[in-house]
Amino acid sequence: MTSVTFQGVVKKFGEFIAVNDLNLEVRDKEFLVLLGPSGCGKTTTMRMVAGLEEVSAGDIFIGGDRVNDVLPKYRDVAMVFQSYALYPHFSVADNIGYPLKIRKVPEEKRRQMVMEVARRVELDRLLDRLPKELSGGQRQRVALARAIIRTPKVFLMDEPLSNLDAKLRVQMRAELKHLQHELQVTTIYVTHDQIEAMTLAHRVAVMSRGVIEQLGTPKEIYNNPRTLFVAGFIGSPPMNLIDGEVSDGAFTSAGGIKIGGLGHSNVADAVLGVRPEDAHLLPGGSGKANVTAPIYSVELTGESTLVTVRAGDSLFTLRADKSFVGDFDQMVNVSFAPERVFLFDRKSQNRVDF
Amino acid sequence: MPRGRTSIDIQRIGAYVTIAVALVITLFPVYWIAANSFKYDIDIFSIPPQWLPSNPTLKHYHAAFIERPFLIYALNSLIIAASTTLVSVVFGSMAGYALARFQYPGRWRYQISFWILSTRMMPPIVTIIPLYIAFNYLGMLNTKPAVIIAYTAFNLPFATWMMKSYFQDLPVELEEAAMVDGDTRWGAFLHVALPLARPGLAATAIFCLIISWNEFLLALVLTLTERSQTLPIGIAGRVTQYSTYWGEISAAGFTACIPIMIFAFIVQKHLVRGISFGAVKG
Ligand SMILES: Nc1ncnc2c1ncn2[C@@H]1O[C@H](COP(=O)(O)OP(=O)(O)O)[C@@H](O)[C@H]1O
Ligand SMILES: [Mg+2]
Repeated sequence: MTSVTFQGVVKKFGEFIAVNDLNLEVRDKEFLVLLGPSGCGKTTTMRMVAGLEEVSAGDIFIGGDRVNDVLPKYRDVAMVFQSYALYPHFSVADNIGYPLKIRKVPEEKRRQMVMEVARRVELDRLLDRLPKELSGGQRQRVALARAIIRTPKVFLMDEPLSNLDAKLRVQMRAELKHLQHELQVTTIYVTHDQIEAMTLAHRVAVMSRGVIEQLGTPKEIYNNPRTLFVAGFIGSPPMNLIDGEVSDGAFTSAGGIKIGGLGHSNVADAVLGVRPEDAHLLPGGSGKANVTAPIYSVELTGESTLVTVRAGDSLFTLRADKSFVGDFDQMVNVSFAPERVFLFDRKSQNRVDF
Repeated sequence: MPRGRTSIDIQRIGAYVTIAVALVITLFPVYWIAANSFKYDIDIFSIPPQWLPSNPTLKHYHAAFIERPFLIYALNSLIIAASTTLVSVVFGSMAGYALARFQYPGRWRYQISFWILSTRMMPPIVTIIPLYIAFNYLGMLNTKPAVIIAYTAFNLPFATWMMKSYFQDLPVELEEAAMVDGDTRWGAFLHVALPLARPGLAATAIFCLIISWNEFLLALVLTLTERSQTLPIGIAGRVTQYSTYWGEISAAGFTACIPIMIFAFIVQKHLVRGISFGAVKG
């Protein structure tokens, strides 16, 4: 039973507050992803769990034990650093076996376990190499192997895939997910890549400027964003966020986008959120359109076509069928799925329910 | 592109000529001492100069190392320089590591390393009388430990600063990884930081060895007996009121160069930087 609990955790660097009043429980065997833009405090949070950074206030519990004052070596966590942090003067085998060597595991047993783990991450032919003789992907796997050679209470992974090329990243993503399922170890995974977060996580904690904006399953985060930040951060291409005004449940933007049926809300500084896949092109001169506007650009991505239209000053992207053919400046009618639009208050940055 | 080619050749020739001139300037005295040490007195001053001894002899080596106590001086130098170097490197790297990695509270953070270096800001001669009195009081004049302590006091600040800058260049994450992997701070220092700072250790060791091997002033004041004196003092002793024994000076001087050269030769391969490549991705 290893949960990780943050209770009112604060981290200050001088006057600067990197993590502000963090409350979070990572459940036993859970794959939790901390997602947020660069500089929002993800690494700092992770380093506090590892014991590499002292907390300024609050408590951290690992498996029920308060660890604020526990040295890293006694916390029994394994960490994959963003930079991998391989020991440059050790061979691959010695790198992977280092946690065992420190724990005085006999040489014979150690060699056997290193071999086993190395085979699992396909490094068994490279055991005698030095880190500098490896490619980025291989180094990443050494770092991973060093973490999984023992069964720690918690895995901490700090953007482990961020320096791999796109293809390898997708492959390693699946491997990581499978590995965590197999090992059943509580995992905190940090990334700024929302696709990684969506694909890997049991639950995602979206962070911004040192606070958790929203915590939930990938589905909840995607389908039910609670703040403007979460709405704009998740999704690729991101959600369209259109400034306008709502009076008695009818939204109007300066660019001529109109949509009704938003309950009876009144918001002076409103933001309408529509995901690209929830906006549709209407054939012909249909009167049901929420906006009629010229095409700004058309991009075929393969599985679909991204159509950007210009409504007044603002651009707006929707996902159309891959068979769609359109020309620059051609006028199109766009309608939104009414049950799939979101309304936010610009001032409070929060969702307005209707 | 014949023109571009020529200018590269000229650059290269220029570089070689510069190196050659520098080598001649630095190596000529060594060569001249070596040559003179094998000459009879009369040949040392012959004009035109004898570039190589026409009539080589080991007479001066016999005089210095058999008739006079230069063997003892050499041994003293060796013990003193080696001990000083060892102590300075061991404690210098520990102190340097602490300064590189830990934050000291309040105003100490900025001042402690400055204080350490400030001990080297006064000329050594200023400390000689206090040192003499202190060692006299302790009954340690004319002993090797006295010289070793005095030398260490002067070498340790430099060793600390040199090692501090080497440790600061190492990525902290390697030691952090070691600690998360289950090591103590001390273990991370021994297993990770220290091996990676090997070029720094080598440079610091050579530096301390050369300084203490060649030191003259402190040794002159703190030692008066043959049994405790070092090579530089012994050599200077051959400049007497009545005569200067150039042959013996050359023989002892040339011999004194050799251990340092051997040490530098052994250590130089560790001076090469670049072992930390591949530590972090890039
Ligand atoms: N040792 C430190 N001293 C001062 N500021 C720091 C330190 N470490 C991190 N920060 C600051 O804290 C904020 C969060 O950093 P970090 O946790 O590394 O962000 P992330 O991993 O989300 O990109 C950043 O603004 C960063 O500049
Ligand atoms: Mg980070």
